[in-house]
Amino acid sequence: MKKILFTASALLLALFAHGQSLSRGLTPAEQQIAWSRSAIQAHPDKAQPYNDLAVAYIRRARETGDSDYLNQAEAALKESAKRVPGNFEGEKAHAMILLARDQFAKALQFSRMLNQKTPDDTLTYGFIADAATALGDYAEAERATQWMLDLREGNVPGLLRAARLRVIYGDTSGALDFYSQAYQQIPPTQTEDQAWTLTQMAEIQLSTGHLDEAESLLQSALQKFPGYYLTLGSYAGVETARHHYKRALDLLRQRDDSSISLSSRYVLASALECAGESAEAASTYKDFELKALKVTNEAANANRELVLYYLGRGNKPAEALHVAEHEVGKRHDVFTLDAYAWALCANGRYGEAKKQVDTILSVGIRDAAIFYHAGAIAERLNDHADAVRYLNQSLELNPESEVAVAAHDALAKAIAASAIATNNR
Amino acid sequence: MIRKILMLLFALVLAPTTLPAQDGTTDVLIKSLAIKVKMYPGDYKSYAGLGAAYLQKGRETGDSADYELAKKALSKSLDLMSNDPAAAFAMTQMAVACMAEHQFEEAYTWAQKALAVGSGDPSPWAIAGDALADMGDYQNAAEAYSRLKLVYGSEDERQSISYQHDSRLSYLRLIAGDSQGAIQLMQGAVKTATETHMPKENIAWSNYQLGEEYFQAGDTTHAEEAYLAALQLYPGYYRALAGLAKVRSAQGSYHEAAALYDRAIAAVPYPEYAAALGDVYRALGESGKAQKEFELVEFISHLSEINQQIHNRDLAWFYADHGMKLEQAVLLARRELEVRHDVYTWDALAWALFRQGESKEAAAVMSHALSQGTRDAQLFFHAGMIYADLGDTARAQEFLHEALAINPHFHPIHAETARQTLAWLATKTGSSPVQEAANAK
Repeated sequence: MKKILFTASALLLALFAHGQSLSRGLTPAEQQIAWSRSAIQAHPDKAQPYNDLAVAYIRRARETGDSDYLNQAEAALKESAKRVPGNFEGEKAHAMILLARDQFAKALQFSRMLNQKTPDDTLTYGFIADAATALGDYAEAERATQWMLDLREGNVPGLLRAARLRVIYGDTSGALDFYSQAYQQIPPTQTEDQAWTLTQMAEIQLSTGHLDEAESLLQSALQKFPGYYLTLGSYAGVETARHHYKRALDLLRQRDDSSISLSSRYVLASALECAGESAEAASTYKDFELKALKVTNEAANANRELVLYYLGRGNKPAEALHVAEHEVGKRHDVFTLDAYAWALCANGRYGEAKKQVDTILSVGIRDAAIFYHAGAIAERLNDHADAVRYLNQSLELNPESEVAVAAHDALAKAIAASAIATNNR
Repeated sequence: MIRKILMLLFALVLAPTTLPAQDGTTDVLIKSLAIKVKMYPGDYKSYAGLGAAYLQKGRETGDSADYELAKKALSKSLDLMSNDPAAAFAMTQMAVACMAEHQFEEAYTWAQKALAVGSGDPSPWAIAGDALADMGDYQNAAEAYSRLKLVYGSEDERQSISYQHDSRLSYLRLIAGDSQGAIQLMQGAVKTATETHMPKENIAWSNYQLGEEYFQAGDTTHAEEAYLAALQLYPGYYRALAGLAKVRSAQGSYHEAAALYDRAIAAVPYPEYAAALGDVYRALGESGKAQKEFELVEFISHLSEINQQIHNRDLAWFYADHGMKLEQAVLLARRELEVRHDVYTWDALAWALFRQGESKEAAAVMSHALSQGTRDAQLFFHAGMIYADLGDTARAQEFLHEALAINPHFHPIHAETARQTLAWLATKTGSSPVQEAANAK
């Protein structure tokens, strides 16, 4: 589910679609780049074409997963600011770059400032919602999203953010409803937007164990935007859930041909392990660890994956807790808190872990891995009833999740322990 | 004659909900918004409103300069606000302005941009569909119109979208040759416009449009009723005046027709009105007056660069109809075909080619014009004349009979030419009206 949250934060809106006759062979972002460049040639003294170019590069970064485009976006914004210093659309694009670079605290502060400047701008609320969601301030995210929908009923950016919040609040059918409404409004030329939305819907289906539905959505997404790395990643998730590890590995390799991020390297290593490619898995894990450690203090990091690695294959629970504490100092979203709780548990600090779990679950999120962690932590605290309840919830929600086998084992133990405790009474 | 219909449709997007009733208030609105943007130069909404007001002005006066002013104001609005759902309105209006200037690809692009910012308002689909229809992509136009559905919004907004949907689908039905279906949809649109108290000009336009559809179906009685309804609601409405003139001409009341055309031209000097008036004068045998009107057609068409762009096709038809500057007619039609591939642009080229004596190519081109099954007397007349010239008597008779069956008075001159040609084809004696037409250089 982390992926949904992360990619939603880069939800930057499609602009400047072009006529069908212009679109052949170019992605929506590439078209937008071409269009903006010709607008710059036609009006070199204007700031707005540079803002458009910046947004196009940001969009291209989402299309490809290549953050180099963000540098080009920044360069375009510099040109914009030279022409009209402090222009609002340029500043909005800057907020988008901060979000795309995972600089959520800065993005939140900057977006709030923009919001004070122009309180009726819909997208600025969207940026606040994105940053607040990433930081775990769901109340502020909800307020901002509600503003978006109040300002302009049924607007697509508002619906997409509302959908994301519904996922976090555990209302997956409501989330699907919002995504579906948004999808219907996206014009067919916006293929990447369509694919992105379909992939989010597929992620929800995958998280609830509806693998066929997820696959169908992902196939549609790949038809809309062939080779889309986000879709391929999700598709690999579906194949993993079906225990088709080789197929999952193929999809991940295909994805990594076009985009290789640190988190995707971690996923690849896990897939290699599942597929029995032990040697390559080990080297990929090692490579992931080295690279992830280098960026652990940066905004765009892979700390959550690093924590999970240390708690699993890496077998370094103390390091896991160290990294988790570092990350939780910056953000309190449910996924970071979950990693922190799991690290606390691995280090024997069950009471503190439970406190974190309670915080997470109070938000309403329904996630198989989180329920599994909650169950395992409860079991360590000898709260067998809660353990059985949470583990059952994990398995009921998604019997094919990546933690399903562990959840089954834990459930059997918890039931046995519960029976013994009852007999001893 | 529905060749003008789509050009007029575009301006109805959003207008019902965003502009006040006309009756001279557009100037007041422009003035007040111009003052507002001067006072608040960062107010993107007022710039967008000003752009929309100029478009409405252009719609009311037919003055292409208003479209340029509209674009300027809209461009300023988009400089201030473009990356937000709130920008959808200005983008949609920009698409409307492009349609007005026959920049169909650009109009489609702006409509797509408006949709891409995700405002929740499906109106841009209407303009996207209009642009596609003008580019001859009727299938995708229908697809675009089918997306004119409001998920959210008030009942009034829902009605407005339903109106946009029905009035546009009506046009596509007409192109597909389903006149009755088109009329039914347009009747529904008129009802919606009236019940939701749209601005008077908009309701009048809807009635006028219904009149056009009746006229094309050959039902001059109901066409007259519809034009009169428009005039009653919005006195002096130039489109309805021209429509009524067409009916009077079909009824043989040429003097009344001339007077009505005169009034329409006084309000908005469209070259097609001047051409039609010239034809009425010809029917009256007043060649001097006719010639003056024909000179006016050329004068208006060349008045500005935009006018030349907008009136390419009208001028091609005019030249071809009157056997004037036929090379130029073909050139203009070909130029128009570069940006527009609807059935009427194919028809204009086919007609110009025929008049130039290139009947073989004309027949090939005409097949595109007839490809959608459009039941328009003008198209059948042109096709009939082309096949008569090619010696394909059976097809020529079929098309000419069809033209006269649809509307025996479809044109003050051409209807008679069709009859004469049929008579000649039946006997093949005497001079051929086809040759006369083809050789009229």
